[in-house]
Amino acid sequence: MFRKKEKDDIQAQPYTKKTFGVQIIMTVAAIAFIAPIFIILNYSFKGKRELYLSSPLSLPESFNLENYVKAFDKLNLATTFTNTFIYTAISVLILAILCGTTAWAIARCTHKFFKFCYIYFIVGILIPYQALFLPIYMIGYKLHLTNTRYGIIFMYVATGVSFGVFLMNSFMSTVPLELEEAARIDGCSVIRTYISVVMPILKPAMATLIIMQAFQIWNDYLLASLYVSKKQLKTLTVAIQSLFSAQSSDYTTAMAAIVISVLPIAILFLSLQKYFIKGMTVGAVKG
Amino acid sequence: MKKTKKGTMEQRMFRQYLLLVLPGFIIFTIGLIIPMFMAVRYSFTSWDGMSAEKIFVGFQNYIDLFKDSNFRDAWLFTIKFTIGNTIIQNIVALLFAVALDSGIKGQKIYRTILFIPCLISAVIVGFVWLKMFSNVLPALNDLLGTNINFLLFGKKETVLSGLLIANNWQWIGYWMLIYLAGLQSVPAELYEAAKVDGAGAVKRFFNVTIPMLAPAITICVVGITTGSLKVYDLLVSSTKGGPGRSSTSMIYETYTTAINGRQYGYGSAMSVTLVIVLLLVALIQVKGLKKREVQA
Amino acid sequence: MKRKKVLCTVLAAMMIASMATGCGGNDDGKAGGTEKKSEGEKVTLTVLAGQSTTDAGIEDMIDEALAEKYPNIELEWECVDWGNDFQPKMQQYMQSGLPDIMIGKAQDVSTYAPQGVLGEIDSKYVDRGLDAASENVTIDGKTYGLVYNALYQGVYYNKTMFKENGWEVPKTQEDLQKIIDDCKAKGITPFASHMVDTWSIGNVTMQFAMNDVFNNDPTWGDKFRDGKVSFSDSKEMQTAYEYNKLIYDNTFPETFSTEQTDCDAKMVQGEAAMKVSGSWSIQNFLDIDENFEFGIFPFPNQTGDSKLIFEPNITVMTSKDTKHQEEVNQVLDLLTSDKDLAVDILDYTKTASMLKDVTPTFKNPSQEDIDKYAEEGNIVDVTLGNNQLVWGGFQEENAKDIASWLQGDLSFEDCLKASDGRVGASSAN
Repeated sequence: MFRKKEKDDIQAQPYTKKTFGVQIIMTVAAIAFIAPIFIILNYSFKGKRELYLSSPLSLPESFNLENYVKAFDKLNLATTFTNTFIYTAISVLILAILCGTTAWAIARCTHKFFKFCYIYFIVGILIPYQALFLPIYMIGYKLHLTNTRYGIIFMYVATGVSFGVFLMNSFMSTVPLELEEAARIDGCSVIRTYISVVMPILKPAMATLIIMQAFQIWNDYLLASLYVSKKQLKTLTVAIQSLFSAQSSDYTTAMAAIVISVLPIAILFLSLQKYFIKGMTVGAVKG
Repeated sequence: MKKTKKGTMEQRMFRQYLLLVLPGFIIFTIGLIIPMFMAVRYSFTSWDGMSAEKIFVGFQNYIDLFKDSNFRDAWLFTIKFTIGNTIIQNIVALLFAVALDSGIKGQKIYRTILFIPCLISAVIVGFVWLKMFSNVLPALNDLLGTNINFLLFGKKETVLSGLLIANNWQWIGYWMLIYLAGLQSVPAELYEAAKVDGAGAVKRFFNVTIPMLAPAITICVVGITTGSLKVYDLLVSSTKGGPGRSSTSMIYETYTTAINGRQYGYGSAMSVTLVIVLLLVALIQVKGLKKREVQA
Repeated sequence: MKRKKVLCTVLAAMMIASMATGCGGNDDGKAGGTEKKSEGEKVTLTVLAGQSTTDAGIEDMIDEALAEKYPNIELEWECVDWGNDFQPKMQQYMQSGLPDIMIGKAQDVSTYAPQGVLGEIDSKYVDRGLDAASENVTIDGKTYGLVYNALYQGVYYNKTMFKENGWEVPKTQEDLQKIIDDCKAKGITPFASHMVDTWSIGNVTMQFAMNDVFNNDPTWGDKFRDGKVSFSDSKEMQTAYEYNKLIYDNTFPETFSTEQTDCDAKMVQGEAAMKVSGSWSIQNFLDIDENFEFGIFPFPNQTGDSKLIFEPNITVMTSKDTKHQEEVNQVLDLLTSDKDLAVDILDYTKTASMLKDVTPTFKNPSQEDIDKYAEEGNIVDVTLGNNQLVWGGFQEENAKDIASWLQGDLSFEDCLKASDGRVGASSAN
């Protein structure tokens, strides 16, 4: 086996002409990328009148938190935040478990039905659920899923499962068959084999899946507005969107609301960055 | 005797595997596949989305689609947007990844900064760039005394570039991370071997890096293409499909037709067409890219 | 292994808990719905409110007033954006059963009442509103909507600027042209506009059509559907479209990148003299400068007899199949009889009253002009036009063509032809 070049192995070396040039280019790129974020922050501290009378690039006169207070209030933050968190957390956990078992069964069982299953799930990645707006609602209504917490979670699982199976399936080659066979010879049932042998190996894959889906679900707009529009069930993105719809005049509050909504997921990313990257590494290499 | 036993054993295994697949299968079928077939059924009716009666009109909706210039324009925009995204995002993300992997200082900081935009929901990204193009960047003109046209969302000719900028700003960091991960797992020995063979930096990139990145490229290309074909959220809060209809994507057109225009049957025909195209595109891509992977 | 088991248990517990809360929420709603209520028992009514952003917040005011007068009723609000989400939500509910109360715009009545899903509003409550309010929400003698407030639409103008330059309020197109010419000579932009919002193009086009088409021919839309008139043939309708060009030629060059708030700010700062708009701009104007002096006049038509346009806005509709007619009526009673609440809402939304004997107290420099037109009877309800040619799927789509035409991507003939081709979508039914 090759020795893997781990990212921590890359030491910052003394500059050569080339690396210095690269450093400068990347710095410019990074500034360009971070600029809009600064603008959001900048706007979020400005007063309404200040926004129009001063240059958009000027710093706020004072760091007043009025916009944030307003945004907290308008977004009904305690409720919307908890809702979004619950929907996201439970959906991704279910997805991780479900997609793991499904993908594994598809990879291991050679029966025709499973071959069909694979294609069946893959097709799902391509179906734009955005276009299936009304039938999705109607079927949800018939099953009493609309305006309930489990209904929206059900839908997130349903729309995420196909990508999950695709992703997990591409990881299956990392699971050594010998281990599974050994477990089976020891008399483990299929499900037992999965739990004791396969699942531990799939952990990084699950992490990848959880990360990728968590973003999508946290930021989802369409399904949330479709399934949970009652005030006490609303999500953060839906609440924010209403702040910048037509005829709205309160951009400064909207900007504060954006900061509030991005902050938790940004903190999550910054603190779990190591795991994020690790998860993605596996995805990119073994995909 | 032995054979039948093996048969039952296989059957038992089959049943257990089935047990593992079924929950996902059922949820997926109810949540997505059945609605899909409902849409197919509606696409043969002139249903307005409200009334109880759904009049069967056969293939009329599909015939009308071919005469509908808005539908054609929406396709054109979506295709341009997708091609632009696939090319720019892949190349820039890969270049960034290579740059970060070249041993520059503060790699983690760059990585974090480039990644942050994709933590933001597309609805918000659209809104932010609307403000950027119409207020913030023109103010930069005043400051620098330059006269660059930043009003990209205001003209038919430039709205596509504006949206590409917004979309790339959001996603480049994400794909870059995948490429970076791929790069960092390329065995150092391969590079050294190539060096010994006398291959220059460029040659090493094309002969070692790219083939080793093949799985990552597959993920990125398929991900970006199918994602771009489904673009909708980004438009809702930025151009709203305008000016005129110049940035109306397929999903956007479908949504306005089916919902605002109360032509649910016709809109369903649009989504069915879209699904078919998406399927074809992905199929071709996966086939083609997998082939290259094998060759590599 | 153990850790995994624990994890699984926790997961399962979380799932069950979440479902329980989900179910719980549902059951609460149903308990209120099916059980016969006894004295003091709470009844929960579901309300779907399609709001403009300026309306958001009135639900809390109504809740507060309701708690005082009818504490037995609780409203379960579902507030959505009228422009984007009201119609889709209504479509959903048509499949599954309407909420007890819906709040939309007057033009929604003609969309949904013919579907046979709306309940008739008791004349007791209708009579508490202005007569003009019920006209366009009444179908075959039955009133399905309770109109609560109204917006005014027309040309807002900078009073100070008009005074300084000696401009009179224009009555005819020639008058208007003179002002435009004078503006240009003095380096003032005549019109503020924000065409990045396609809805605003659609909105002003309807304003133009009201005074150049529907004033002479209130059934133009019906004739259009009968094939007797068309956009390609109708001189009047073409005039209405062409006014857009007049605005476009005399506005900010960056109008297709300017949003409403920016546009209103420029207007207040004296960068433009006039703006074709509606009451929704008032709040913006006063937010930026509370001393901004502005008035309103109707956009002059060809014949010089334009009327100021008003649009009934918040309109309360009820479900025909509600299980709580009595409580729904109590809510209607509260809305029509609580004058303090009405004034609060009107002040908050900066709109005009559609209830008898209720006048908002917020500062509105254009009120003087509105009163003048109202006294002379020179006001007209735009719901007429919106019923003849519906907004969603027709006006909205036409506006996109107009935008393309203004930008030179579509010929005027093709723009008209496109509107003609949309005839099937021009009526809600």
